[in-house]
Parts: sequence; structure tokens; C-alpha cells
Amino acid sequence: MSLQGHNPPPNTPSSDYSLSPRVSRRQPRTQMSTDRAANLNISHTVDLRALVYVGTVDQNLICAICRCALVDPVTTHCGHTFCQSCIDDALSHSQLCPVDRSWLSLADLKPSPRIIVNQLDDLKAKCPSCSIAYARSMLQNHLERYCKEALVFCAGKNTEQGCEETVKRRFSDKGCLHYTTECPDCQESLLMVELEDHREKLCDQRNRHCERCGAELLRCKESDHETECPDAIACCKWAEYGCEHEAKRRELPLHLDECSFKLVGPMAEILKKEINTLRSEVRTLTETNQLQERRIKFLENGFRDPYRPLDYSDFSDQTLSAIPEAGNPEPLSAGSEYLLSLLEAQESKMSQLSAAMTENEAKQTTLLFNETIPIKNELAEIRSMQQTTSMHVRWLLRFRLQDNHRRLGTGPGSNGGSDGATGGGSSNDSPLPRRLSDGLSRDIITKL
Amino acid sequence: MATSFATKRLSKELNKINGQLPPGISLVKADDFQEWQLDIKVLDNNPIYLNQTYRLMFKFSSSYPIEPPEVTFLACPDRPIPMHPHIYSNGIICLDLLGMQGWSPVQNVESICMSLQSMLTGNTKNERPEGDQQFVANNRRRPRDIDFYYHDNTV
Ligand SMILES: [Zn+2]
Ligand SMILES: [Zn+2]
Ligand SMILES: [Zn+2]
Ligand SMILES: [Zn+2]
Ligand SMILES: [Zn+2]
Ligand SMILES: [Zn+2]
Ligand SMILES: [Zn+2]
Repeated sequence: MSLQGHNPPPNTPSSDYSLSPRVSRRQPRTQMSTDRAANLNISHTVDLRALVYVGTVDQNLICAICRCALVDPVTTHCGHTFCQSCIDDALSHSQLCPVDRSWLSLADLKPSPRIIVNQLDDLKAKCPSCSIAYARSMLQNHLERYCKEALVFCAGKNTEQGCEETVKRRFSDKGCLHYTTECPDCQESLLMVELEDHREKLCDQRNRHCERCGAELLRCKESDHETECPDAIACCKWAEYGCEHEAKRRELPLHLDECSFKLVGPMAEILKKEINTLRSEVRTLTETNQLQERRIKFLENGFRDPYRPLDYSDFSDQTLSAIPEAGNPEPLSAGSEYLLSLLEAQESKMSQLSAAMTENEAKQTTLLFNETIPIKNELAEIRSMQQTTSMHVRWLLRFRLQDNHRRLGTGPGSNGGSDGATGGGSSNDSPLPRRLSDGLSRDIITKL
Repeated sequence: MATSFATKRLSKELNKINGQLPPGISLVKADDFQEWQLDIKVLDNNPIYLNQTYRLMFKFSSSYPIEPPEVTFLACPDRPIPMHPHIYSNGIICLDLLGMQGWSPVQNVESICMSLQSMLTGNTKNERPEGDQQFVANNRRRPRDIDFYYHDNTV
């Protein structure tokens, strides 16, 4: 039970996604332990719009209304996709598609294609409690069943104590921790659940100066410092090969120059490495040797076989092997053993290959990822630049057009009516700005 | 719930704005999610707006972005109200984009700034709207309501 060293949690998306039901059926024990924990679980609602995503989310997966990765996406008949709740709100305000201004009603909305939903489900987001990244669709499950930092009911809930508090999941297997204890550093009395946090962050006695090196360190992390304190006594690097010198860790480098093992040490190191490789070679050789021996036996047995009634030998081997006279049990077992070992060899090769493949794949994806990020950024920049320029070009065109109209006098007078009208000052102006802004907004909107 | 929706959307926009803004637009103040101030400049050589910077005041309701923000020009030292036949001398802007009818929730602070930049770029008349003095003296309504009122009147 410590903060450091996260094992890959049981619901790591990559492997567990499709496998979990099978795995749990094969291992009833895991199933039982989660069942026991299940009655302490609290249902968490994950606010998908408040998540922090890993990397940048594809622009095409962002809802134009809330500017977040889509939540429960629906697609309009004009082909635009929004969150269900966002477009509901927008339609209650005006019955137009927010992007292209075409008529739209709630009935025109359909759930988005599977591919969009899948892409959204696969987005990696940080768990709001423990900050480890998971596929977005896994977060709810992770929080409710596995997250070490998420709140669950105290284990005391099911005992006669009937504790009603909640605790972080990583404390839940220690029983109810809601009893008073004393901080070993400051003697303040507090609840056991709060002790760790108190010792790390709140205790006014939490810091201590190392009496050897003077560095400030947390009292609860003293043992970690022991292995790195520059003033602690440590052995020479070559202690393994016989040097008995001991000194403060910071002074050891000085000793290295005069250590009587300074020539022997590196040699011994090399030898040690050599011995290890030799050992592993010998191991593989014995393995192949065994394999070949079995093969030879198998072949020998194959030669002998024709002179023997096959079914009889089978019978004798399987049922009468207890009786010593009933022939040599070697042949058959040797044969099947040989086949088995072949199989094993193949299997290990397979696993080696698949490991190499996954490694390669990972390398490839990071490579690709690193290469595409700058391209994506550039693209976004170019897109926004193109937006502004095209907007300005249209403006200039419009302006030129109006100029022409004005020069032609009463042209195809679209403003004719309002120009002559004698309304209030402001009403006189409204047709012009409205048209202008309409054109404008559509320009911007279609590019978004 | 509604408040937090507007807040979330605005915090997204603020993140983006803090990263990068189109040329001629800069953030002045965004201390909360009710009121922001931005400066805009006209990028071409339009003599009416040459070497000038204008300050925009954005006021967001809890229904943003379903409802439009209230956008006005703000007069302060070095920041005049730009001359334009649709901008009153008290800073109120007559732009359909900002009215209930013309607004779309996909618009954002950045796109509004760019629209206003373009509105100024395209202008050649160095004048105020007709009846400016009278309007400025009498108006007590909020810009959003005015817009609504005179759409009704014209149509
Ligand atoms: Zn549409
Ligand atoms: Zn949305
Ligand atoms: Zn978590
Ligand atoms: Zn308890
Ligand atoms: Zn303490
Ligand atoms: Zn120390
Ligand atoms: Zn030594």
C-alpha cells in the first residue's frame, strides 16, 4: 500500500476491452473479490465536459456549441453533429441549424453513425480522481469499481459498527479506519484515514533535517532517503569482489581512484556478464539437447513400432504401466513428450514474435504521432488564416458591388425602399447591417 | 447547471484565446466568466481607422452560447468609439449577428471580434447612425432589447 508504483489497473483499456468477461469466467476468485467490494461501491457520474483529454482532440469530434468532445452525439439532416443536450437547448431557442441556418426540428435529429461514437469512446481522458488516462467510455466503470483514489463506502459499513463514512478505495481493504490515532511525529490525535495525508502534507512536524546531510525530508519517507543520502555510510562499488572499504556516499568516488580493486573490479564485472551469458547459453543448449534426445527416442520408437501390435501397446501403457513387466512405458510417453515440447517451443516462439510485434507497433504509432502533430497544428493555423482572408475578400467584393450600385444610381434597388423611408433614425439603418452580418456570419460559420 | 455550462464553454474559449488569437485581436481582461474586454485593430489601411485600437466589452449571460453575449464598444483613454454608420457614439453596435435572430451558438468571442474587424474594414462612411444624438440621450434599454424592438418596427 503505497502511492508509488502503480500496477496497470485491472481495467486497462487495451487488453481488457474485449477479454474481461472471459477472464472473469475463467477465474472465479477475482469475480468473488470484486463482488465483495461491489457492495461498497458508490455510483459516480462522470461529467464528460469537464474531462481533461490526453493530447488534442480531433477538431471533427468537437461540438460547435459547447466546444467539448461530443457527448451523446446526434447528427442533423444537414449533416452536422452536436451533443444531444446542446442541440436541444439551441433548438428551444431558434429552430435553425446553428451551423448552416437551415430549418431544423428535434424530429430531424438522428443518433450519430457508429464510427463517430466509437472514436469518442476511444478518446483517452484523465480520471478525475487519480489522473491516470483511460478510454473515455471506460472511465465510469473505472471510477465505480477500480479507481484507487475514488470514494467508496467505508468497509465498516457492513460490520456491526455500521460506519457511514466514505473513504478512498485504496484504504477500503484495511477495514474501518475511522478511529482516533496519534500522529507519531506531532502526537496530534486524528482519524486513521487522515494519517497518511496528515504526515505528508499537513503535519507541522512532517519535515525533518537529515542528521547526516542536513537535507529536508519527510519523516514518513525517511527510509527512502537512506539509500540516497550523500552522508550515509555505504560500501565500495566493488564490495562484491572483496573490497571492504566503507565511507560516506559522497566520498566514495575519491576512494574509487585508490581502491585496490579498481583494476580487478571492472574485469570481474565483465567476467560476471560473460558468465551470465554463458549460463543462459548452456541453458538453451540443454533444452535443445533434451529436445533432440526425445526426438531420437521418438524415431527409435517409430522403427520398433511395426513389430508391435499398436493397440496392445496403448493398452498396456495406459492401464498396466503399474506392472513392471508390461513393457517399457517409455516409447509412447517419449513420443508425445516430444510433440509436446515441439508445441511448447512453437508457443514460446509465437509469444516472442507477438511481443516483438506489439513493441514495433508501439514504436510506429509514437513515430507517426510525433510526425502528425506539427502537421495538424500547421493545418489548424492555415485553416484559421484562410478563414480570415476569405472573409475579407468577400467583404471587399460586397463593398465593390455596393459601390457599383451607388454609381449606377437607382440600380436593382434592394435598398431603394428603405432609403426612401422616413422611419426613426435607427430603423433606417437596419436593412443594411442585417444583410452584411448575415453574409458575414455565414462565411464564418461555413468555415467552422 | 446553466451557469456551469456557460462557464465551461467560456473557459474553453479562454484557453484557446490565451494560446493564439488572429492578428489585430488581443485580450485585455477576463477575470471572470461574466465580463471580458478585448482590443481590436483594423488591419488594412482604411483611413478612418488608421492607427487606432478599439476596446470591446463582452457581457455573458448564463445562457451563453445559446443566447448571444452583449457586445459594445467601450470608450476609455486611447480607445475611442469607432466611426461607423451602425455604431452609436455610446458604443452600442447595430449588428444582426449579435441580435437574438442573427445569433448562432457556434459563434464565439473570437469570431465576433473578426466580424467586427471586417465590419470596420468594409466601411467608407466616416459618420454615425442617423439620430445618434437623440438615441444616445434617450436610450435606457440594453442593446439586446433594442435590436429586438427595431426589427419589429422595420418589418
Ligand atoms: Zn446544418
Ligand atoms: Zn455539445
Ligand atoms: Zn482513477
Ligand atoms: Zn469507517
Ligand atoms: Zn503530525
Ligand atoms: Zn541525508
Ligand atoms: Zn574499494
